[in-house]
Amino acid sequence: MNRSKRTSAFLSILIAAAFLVFLIFPLYWMLLTSFKDNSVLFKLPPEWWPSEPVMDHYRKLFADGVFLGYYRNSLLVCLTTTAITLLAAMFAGYGFSRFEFKFKSLALFSILSTQMLPVVSLLIALYTMYNKYHLLNTRAGLILALTTSCLPFSIWMIKVFFDHIPVDLEESAKIDGASRFGILFRIVLPLTKPGLLSIGIYSFILSWDDFLYSLTLINKDELRPLNAGIAIRYIGELSYDWSSIMTVCVTSIVPISLLFLFFQKYMVSGLTAGAVKG
Amino acid sequence: MPALLRETSETDKEVSILEKPAQLQAGGMRLSEKRKDILFLALLIAPAIVLLLFTIGIPIIKSLYLSFFDVTLLSMKTLKWNAFGNYHKLFADNDLLHSIGVTFRYVLTVVSLQFALGMMLALILNGKLPFRRALRTVILIPWVIPTIIGALLWMWLFQPQYGVMNFILQSLNLSDKPLQWLSDVHLALWAVTIAALWKQLPFMVTMLLAGMQGIPGDMYEAAMIDGAGKRQQFFHITLPMLKNTIKTVTLIACIENFKMFPLFWIMTSGGPVDATTTLSILSYKTAFIDLDLGKGAATGALWLIIMLVFSWVYNRLFSIGEGKGGAMH
Repeated sequence: MNRSKRTSAFLSILIAAAFLVFLIFPLYWMLLTSFKDNSVLFKLPPEWWPSEPVMDHYRKLFADGVFLGYYRNSLLVCLTTTAITLLAAMFAGYGFSRFEFKFKSLALFSILSTQMLPVVSLLIALYTMYNKYHLLNTRAGLILALTTSCLPFSIWMIKVFFDHIPVDLEESAKIDGASRFGILFRIVLPLTKPGLLSIGIYSFILSWDDFLYSLTLINKDELRPLNAGIAIRYIGELSYDWSSIMTVCVTSIVPISLLFLFFQKYMVSGLTAGAVKG
Repeated sequence: MPALLRETSETDKEVSILEKPAQLQAGGMRLSEKRKDILFLALLIAPAIVLLLFTIGIPIIKSLYLSFFDVTLLSMKTLKWNAFGNYHKLFADNDLLHSIGVTFRYVLTVVSLQFALGMMLALILNGKLPFRRALRTVILIPWVIPTIIGALLWMWLFQPQYGVMNFILQSLNLSDKPLQWLSDVHLALWAVTIAALWKQLPFMVTMLLAGMQGIPGDMYEAAMIDGAGKRQQFFHITLPMLKNTIKTVTLIACIENFKMFPLFWIMTSGGPVDATTTLSILSYKTAFIDLDLGKGAATGALWLIIMLVFSWVYNRLFSIGEGKGGAMH
């Protein structure tokens, strides 16, 4: 009995380690490649540990203004998207949490089911609309599209958070003469900080991940965000410069990794609240 | 809706002006409260609804509409009705059925692997493992990495001559020659599937784990006293209690992968010889590479129908046992 228990414990550690290698090794390899000189890159067997790490690829990348331009575009677009999503989702989530009205569940259901729609087929019509309203090749247009792709789940998540805040708190503030927006901003929002953080992070990650919208709606190189920029500039040639590509990759995951490190607690709680309890 | 809103706001103003001297009249006050409620609610949800209507609501209707016309990027001003021509073309050239097949094969493989592996890892992390808290955090990292970065990373790992994947396989004697992961008709879909698993497994594990931790521990204790083994506990407690979580999470995974675009676009662009042309690649190519927006929209419309049917069937399948075990949430 005892022995079989020990073997099963050992087995689970072994399996967990295998998973860990599968999930983490590629990231290590990306980081390592970005420090490899092209002469070491194509050596077989490969170098598992850098014998002579070089910074050349990073230097080259930052000397090239184009990449920094993509980076700035991405930050601009994602931060604005996050801010607008937060505002709109917060209001809507509060409305859906606190008021009963006709067609409420239908409205909530249709909002959430937009998540199911194939983006490409939306994009075809959106492209013709944007063309008509001169929104193609504008940051505003891209931000608009990204905001609505973040909104449905954000509304859903923040509604779950609002549902957990007792209404009594608001009633007593009302008796004290607070206005409706006063109640929302001074009483309810401070209590929902974790919820706001989670949807903020969710929106940032989602918009930083976007590829399809920016690939299609933007075709001016100076307006392109990172992902589309990388895809168009660094891929598609006959031979790939793998160390440079991996350098670009490492650099472009920096903001996301920082967010993750600082806020992973909120990320998980927000997602589980929205997806499982909802 | 806007007309109604304006009316409310106007009358609301009147009421509030008139209200002051007559504030003691309880009936009048309640009425204005109710109106204020409606106005406040409208203010709250209007921004989100307007945004969603503009970039999702109208486009989806418009896309269905476009699917019945001859539309190219050059002829966007004058739409020509083409009597289901787009749909005829789609069924005539066989691409559609092929890509539906590829899409389903990909979705079913990636979601079932993801679920099986995710369940395994979640069970392990739910047990008494050293450093399990740190592990739970660390395994989430791939999930935050942008999809196209994941795609590029795996392309490098799968690189035929110098890729580390082939090196490992060959040094373990699992294959005798370098595999052409991304340009072999039989391997390309698997290569994309592995990359997708890498990116999506963390989310699956985290969700399942969160569900498992919501199961009260005394249920297991009671089962243990009754002499139930680990396997029985898993099938009679864990799985039934997780039913809702499993349903939601696998549905999210299915939808996510039905829509998957970046991995395919970056890693294979639908090749070799259409072996990885899914519905999303097909409609993107038709609309934005061949510039036939009408035909692309028709693909999208059919795709939409397929997804609706799929999620309906899915919901149906999952509520089979609802009558008996449905009370357990």
